[in-house]
Amino acid sequence: MSKPDYAEGYWNPFVAGIALGLVLLLTFFIMGTGLGASGAVARTAAAITHAIDPQAVEQNQYFSSFYKPGSSGVFVDWIVFEVIGAFFGGLVAVLTARRFKLSVGKGKSFPASRRLVLAFLGGIVGGIGTRFAMGCTSGQALSGGATMVVGSWVFMMTVFATAFVAAYFVRKEWE
Amino acid sequence: MTGPLYLYEVISFSTSLFVAIGIGFLFGFVLERAGFGDSRNLTSIFYFRDMRVLRVMFSALVTAMLGLVILNRFGLFDYALLLEYSLLQTYFWPQLVGGVLFGLGFLVGGYCPGTAIVGVASGKIDSLVFLIGMVLGIDIFAFGMPIWGSFYKSSDMGRITLWQYFGTSMETMALIITFAALGAFVLAWVAEKWAPYDK
Repeated sequence: MSKPDYAEGYWNPFVAGIALGLVLLLTFFIMGTGLGASGAVARTAAAITHAIDPQAVEQNQYFSSFYKPGSSGVFVDWIVFEVIGAFFGGLVAVLTARRFKLSVGKGKSFPASRRLVLAFLGGIVGGIGTRFAMGCTSGQALSGGATMVVGSWVFMMTVFATAFVAAYFVRKEWE
Repeated sequence: MTGPLYLYEVISFSTSLFVAIGIGFLFGFVLERAGFGDSRNLTSIFYFRDMRVLRVMFSALVTAMLGLVILNRFGLFDYALLLEYSLLQTYFWPQLVGGVLFGLGFLVGGYCPGTAIVGVASGKIDSLVFLIGMVLGIDIFAFGMPIWGSFYKSSDMGRITLWQYFGTSMETMALIITFAALGAFVLAWVAEKWAPYDK
């Protein structure tokens, strides 16, 4: 079977993987921690909710840690700056490859509106998952995996096992 | 010069924020070039169509893992410091439950958080919707703390690595994982030939 057009034009996966690994290695060498992403979304959630109801957030058992007295702001954090960098890195990569296109990624005959509903629901469930796991694919699976952390390997194996089993039930979404 | 530089206080917190932007830039750039700005390339793995996600992830993981072990060997990286201060902590059951939820979110939502950022940069509307869903999900988690707050911090195993858990050395464990990754690459190739959903 020949590759569909959306899978064309990228780096060889092993080359991309080694490049990603070197970025991760550099991160550990400089910072002593790995890459991440979901932490920045958590801080964004806290900030948005804080704009609506500051008291509820500052007293919240989870969010309150972002609003400790003396902290210089919910966004003054390593992971937030890293994610801002990632956005611009992705933007430069997509523009220089002339791939920027407003579109919805989905199976060929799957309706876009339903795909967006599922993206939203998936975001909710995945978002809750990142908090229980204290990280996501970058922070736990990749960074924790490379430092051979027990919990990160438990997380990674569970993520893939769950998705492989559940894939059958949403096969139309991606067909 | 021995790493980690930040833990050795070679660089300050404000310098580290500049570093964060640079590192993030490289991270996002590579993710896009790997094809991870498009949900279809991320979910193909679950249908054995294109095992790109596995290849990229495991080769990245092994590269960084071996790099750290080698730098540690030559005294250029202080792994002991990592183990004591900054290694991720293991909470067995919350991370397993988190893995199930995250796996469902990844499959149905089509992204994980980092790739969704790159998806937004690529103009993918579904990735923006995914991130909005994530914000709501994190709010649900935060305001549900009275219900699951004690579970969230349960089965605390501390900072523990696979080699400590299995009673072997860092180097042996890294070698086992490297061979497991090579095995996974072979299996990935077989799985693409099998392609059970595309018959």
